[in-house]
Amino acid sequence: MNEAPRPPPSPPVAGLLTGRVAIITGAGQGVGLGIAEAMAAAGAAVIIAARRPDNGEPAAASIRAAGGRAGFVRCDVTIRADVDAAVDAALDRFGRLDVMVHNAVSPPGPPRPIQDVDDDTIAAQIATSTTAAFHCAQAAFAPLRADHGSLILLTSPAGIEGSGNLPLYATVKGAQRGLLKSLAREWGPHGVRVNAIAPVAWTPAMRTATDANPTLEARLSGRTPLGRIGDPTDDIGPVAVFLASALSRHMTGQTLAVDGGRYLGL
Amino acid sequence: MARRAVLIVGAGEPATSVAVGLGVAGWDVHRIDDDTIVWTDDTLAVQCSGLGAVDLVVHARYPAVARRRADLVDLDGDQWRAAADEPLEAAIRLARCVHRPLAAAGGTIVFLVPLMASAGGAGFAAFATAAEGIRVLAKSLAKTWGTDGIRAHALTLDPSAFLAPVDAAGMAEANSLHDPPLGRVPDLETEVARVIAALAHDDLAVLTGASLVVDGGLWMPG
Repeated sequence: MNEAPRPPPSPPVAGLLTGRVAIITGAGQGVGLGIAEAMAAAGAAVIIAARRPDNGEPAAASIRAAGGRAGFVRCDVTIRADVDAAVDAALDRFGRLDVMVHNAVSPPGPPRPIQDVDDDTIAAQIATSTTAAFHCAQAAFAPLRADHGSLILLTSPAGIEGSGNLPLYATVKGAQRGLLKSLAREWGPHGVRVNAIAPVAWTPAMRTATDANPTLEARLSGRTPLGRIGDPTDDIGPVAVFLASALSRHMTGQTLAVDGGRYLGL
Repeated sequence: MARRAVLIVGAGEPATSVAVGLGVAGWDVHRIDDDTIVWTDDTLAVQCSGLGAVDLVVHARYPAVARRRADLVDLDGDQWRAAADEPLEAAIRLARCVHRPLAAAGGTIVFLVPLMASAGGAGFAAFATAAEGIRVLAKSLAKTWGTDGIRAHALTLDPSAFLAPVDAAGMAEANSLHDPPLGRVPDLETEVARVIAALAHDDLAVLTGASLVVDGGLWMPG
């Protein structure tokens, strides 16, 4: 198979989010960090809301070192008080909240059929996907309404088409889409938009999977029209910037698959 | 020839009417209508003793709290848990429990979901969260269980199948659902039950993972 053509450089996003403030959950690494970096590059002040200080603090520091505005808040999204504290931190440090991005999710575990999934994994996936989405949405609603802001959920193509390898993960990611469509209807009259991104990108979990299975990357890329797995900062981040910015001001209730064209069922 | 066994899970409608319809059609109907049951490995043995193989499972288990209109900002954590997380978890647990009896019969599982799962519904975000997760669960089971001889589907029904009339009417208005092309919303007992039975029939053995909208043509997603 021919190597995928090198993509053109990402267009500049500077200024698109000037004066805006965003919280990104699970932003200590992977897609969450990519979105935080892209939003900061677009001018937003960002709160890195992550469970682990050992990657959350360095993530915020690296954004500041690059000239951006960023702060870290330790946040377990399954605990409502932690999410409230992240919202309070955004308001205290930066004076407003325009964008809430819920990206954090517990590891789905190895591929296995639903009858082999244990109780703890079920509980953790639901807690970080649907319970946490409820926490993020409800905690952020008042400031988002005040500034005509935007809620962005990170779902997955698996949440649209299902998954034979990760049926539990697909289920909770599908559930998030039921939430976003309903909230889009509920919050539209308040001027708050609700959208989702369904990425396929290089995350720590993807690295672990490809390291364990050397043929996986080639197989995934081979099924992707654009021929490669996405980069969190350069491929996923700009789409989050778009959904957070006024460029998408007439979009709500939508899921954007950012996966190189692998899923074409919408 | 022995009657084929169907297990119907869920209290109230649409489970009740579907149970009646399948019973009239000759199915051996087993009903679990206690929505407080926490599904574990021995739930089937306790609730349906002697039921070794199941030809058809119909899931329509959505507790009353999920069916009551409430804006998301007005829900407390316990209400969210009861309306969204718990029914989602219960459906996953049900799937774990029925794999073996469905595989023994080469059976079919059908999940009934409300239209707001895929179309959205103001005031029913928690219900839609659980239901859309369950709709995708059906697709995942179809992919995983096909080699076990099990088929899985989801049927999207009009909101009136799940909600009080006033809420169903409001949902129809919000989603621009008026004047079904076939002139009526399908009757649960006589028409939806027949669609479910058809999906479990050998004539449709090639079909799995379908996400069908059975509403008389009201909602036609892309």
